[in-house]
Amino acid sequence: MIEIESYDFADDVDYAASQQQGSQSIMRSNSGKMKDPEGGEVVYVKDNVSIHPTQYMSERISGRLKLVKQDDSLFMMWIPYKGQNTNTRLSERDRNLYTIRPLPITDVRSIRRHTPPLGWQYLIVVLSSGLAFPPLYFYNGGVKEFLATIKQHVLLVRSADDANVFIVNDFQDPLQKTLSSLELLGVVPVVAPSSAAIAVSPTSESQEKMAECACDTNCGSEFIERPKYKVNDPARDFSIQLLEKFSLVTKFARETTSQLFRENSGENLFLSDGRKPNHIPALPAAPPKLPPNDVQKVSDEVHVPEDPLEFYKLALIWGNPRQPPLSQEEWGDFLDSEGRVVDSEALKKRVFYGGIAHELRKEVWPFLLGHYDFNSTYAEREYLRSARKEDYEIIKLQWQSISPQQAKRFTKFRERKGLIDKDVVRTDRSFSYYNGDDNPNINLLYDILLTYSFYNFDLGYCQGMNDYLSPLLFVMEDESEAFWCFAALMERVGPNFNRDQSGMQAQLFALSKYCLVHWQLVELSDSPLHDYFKQNDCLNYFFCFRWILMQFKRQCADIYFSSFAHHRELRYEETLLLWEVLWTHHLTEHLHLYVCVAILKKYRNKIMGDRMDFDTLLKFINELTGHIDIEPTLRDAEALCLCLGETGAACIPPGTPPSLPLKNALVSSQLEDEILGYTILRKVIADQIASAKEDDLVAFELVFRWEW
Amino acid sequence: MSTRRRTLLKVIVLGDSGVGKTSLMNQYVHKKFSQQYKATIGADFVTKELQIDDKLVTLQIWDTAGQERFQSLGVAFYRGADCCVLVYDVNVMKSFDSLDNWHDEFLKQANPPDPKAFPFILLGNKIDIDGGNSRVVSEKKARDWCASRGNIPYFETSAKENIRVDDAFLCIAKAALANEREQDM
Ligand SMILES: Nc1nc2c(ncn2[C@@H]2O[C@H](COP(=O)(O)OP(=O)(O)OP(=O)(O)O)[C@@H](O)[C@H]2O)c(=O)[nH]1
Ligand SMILES: [Mg+2]
Repeated sequence: MIEIESYDFADDVDYAASQQQGSQSIMRSNSGKMKDPEGGEVVYVKDNVSIHPTQYMSERISGRLKLVKQDDSLFMMWIPYKGQNTNTRLSERDRNLYTIRPLPITDVRSIRRHTPPLGWQYLIVVLSSGLAFPPLYFYNGGVKEFLATIKQHVLLVRSADDANVFIVNDFQDPLQKTLSSLELLGVVPVVAPSSAAIAVSPTSESQEKMAECACDTNCGSEFIERPKYKVNDPARDFSIQLLEKFSLVTKFARETTSQLFRENSGENLFLSDGRKPNHIPALPAAPPKLPPNDVQKVSDEVHVPEDPLEFYKLALIWGNPRQPPLSQEEWGDFLDSEGRVVDSEALKKRVFYGGIAHELRKEVWPFLLGHYDFNSTYAEREYLRSARKEDYEIIKLQWQSISPQQAKRFTKFRERKGLIDKDVVRTDRSFSYYNGDDNPNINLLYDILLTYSFYNFDLGYCQGMNDYLSPLLFVMEDESEAFWCFAALMERVGPNFNRDQSGMQAQLFALSKYCLVHWQLVELSDSPLHDYFKQNDCLNYFFCFRWILMQFKRQCADIYFSSFAHHRELRYEETLLLWEVLWTHHLTEHLHLYVCVAILKKYRNKIMGDRMDFDTLLKFINELTGHIDIEPTLRDAEALCLCLGETGAACIPPGTPPSLPLKNALVSSQLEDEILGYTILRKVIADQIASAKEDDLVAFELVFRWEW
Repeated sequence: MSTRRRTLLKVIVLGDSGVGKTSLMNQYVHKKFSQQYKATIGADFVTKELQIDDKLVTLQIWDTAGQERFQSLGVAFYRGADCCVLVYDVNVMKSFDSLDNWHDEFLKQANPPDPKAFPFILLGNKIDIDGGNSRVVSEKKARDWCASRGNIPYFETSAKENIRVDDAFLCIAKAALANEREQDM
């Protein structure tokens, strides 16, 4: 691997020139009128827009991207944050080097948008001179707003050949002139004017279809005339050619990107049309996009819209690498001399990325679950343990003291007992801790569950609670401690068992909402899975019911049919790992929903390719045994979570389990209204989006005007 | 309708939690009884191919959760059913008493074109327990109930000992097929 982190950018001619270009242009357009564009009206601002000066994703320079309007001109600027000390290798000088000083948008030639399937969208801004700034990664989303804002101020048109290239102020198409003056073969104009001479040659059918589809889906309405001919090379990626042949992008950006590309795609690198490239492109090509309706139209040969993920797995789209579990030694370091957890956020983060060594779980879980306070001392916890043990015994005595005569007149009690009786003997019996006849641990499950149903008489007992308790008892190895951990856990997931199923509805709702926004924003016009679900009545996401109800426990440790036992999805141990990661609430309280999306995305081609209807999909998901690999799934989920940032998080209404219930009853009735309103809106919007497909900016405006 | 085309018959199995719905289905499809089945959460189905007369049919047997709290989900799967199997535990009175409720709720939710003619079948399960000594619902009582509900076929089964499980499901398949044919006409 080439070490480029020590690369001296001052020597980079391209880069230096681009710097100069930036400052020159500002001087030019200033013309005395405006000294400081920052004094203008800020029309767009986005934090956490970052560049990656090296191939290591951990090394990034984050900053604030702004569009400032001064009189009638629009300026773009990007200022790195000061004093970020996370990346020690990056100097202050680097930071200055990369700063984009106020740059008139009219000096921008084009903006190329890249949308990795997982991970952050990024833009490459190419200047009129042909030089480019390093890719800007939008960690908090906002690409569409950025483009939309520019569009409000200058003419922004989309390239006919590449829907991801936006041309600024293109009246004369000077770039085309530039290109033709260089007499390049096989390069197509960025914008196809009606009279443009295009190299025409017979094309294969598939290419034709592809080009057509790309046009139908993506061409902006600005194009009055579309090219009537198929281009020799579909030139899906006009930019790649530009970047490669003319070094239009700074050398460092090219190297960075191709490094990422090479590192992660290994030998399996194919372009989206199946060709093996004879060179590593500087930037990944955009996959062909098919309008979702084609799934129906092409009836015989099932054409599944490509998931870009299949083609290149860039490092930037992955979550952070997983770590080994938290060890005894490390755990000691988290505690002060009296046993307080000094930095609970750091601890949670550590557990999030690596889980906990099994023998330590007993100690750490009560903190994660909220049974112990992070600030408590050894002595306080010792006291709490014994006090809680007494409490537990008292509650337990409540049902133990019910005589047979009293029970005869206590139907609710008998029913609960009966249910629990039947369920404890059906709880993880294949797992050694619970197997065999007369296993005492089964009796403990029984006692704890019945005691809980007295402790929380309103919620009572519901099937699935046994599944939550089983790992807790296994880990805590103590009846009372397991009970209190269980009670703490139920504070969060208890609503899953509400009689009216409102907790589950809220989560399924959040999931479908997130998915819609995700498919729309991250996959942009490419949201075939959503459309597929829509066509197949799957938008209620009922097939994820079991996953959500028990936070994947059943998928992990179930042996529903003993003949399938050999491909249980995740083993019992993996449930423990998954759960402790979920419980850290690091990044989000709803990681389990992102896990759902990660799995659905993983199997999207299979789901659509096999044309699963609702029944088949449900079955497929119920039997996703042996195919869920927990570590990569967690990484995908993390990436998903980061990828849409706040926009994604906003899809999950406050109070959605396992968030603690909202104190304010008003807010929760608001939530209900929202769910109701959303159901109606979703249909309206989905219809609108379907018809507005050809211009995803329109779709975007729609989505956001509704502000769910 | 072409006779070559395979017919898919959708069967819904209903009854209180723990009466043995999952065990019966697994005994029928996988020829196995296991203590290790779990309480059913959500819904699932198994399929079984079988030949009735000269016709090849695929039986799609839907297993739903018995606990009332999950009912709201179950109803989503009732649609398009060709036959409904009601199960109770002969040793538990409550599971027998619930039958009315299961029966009526199913008709309400599935809303078949001709509710009176819709095929139901009743299974009294777990007859093996205690050699029948702990049973609290007599065969007569069950048959009376069936008669009052338009002569519903009745079987006494044991998923554990594999007693009359195949017979019951063959009857179920036939009833479902008849119902399907009726609807085609
Ligand atoms: N002795 C005996 N036990 C049975 C029989 N059928 C089921 N059981 C047991 O009864 C319990 C419940 O069986 P399941 O098949 O899981 O019951 P279910 O109706 O599917 O219950 P839910 O999924 O909760 O609705 C299990 O412990 C089984 O082992 C039977 O015929 N005889
Ligand atoms: Mg069951």
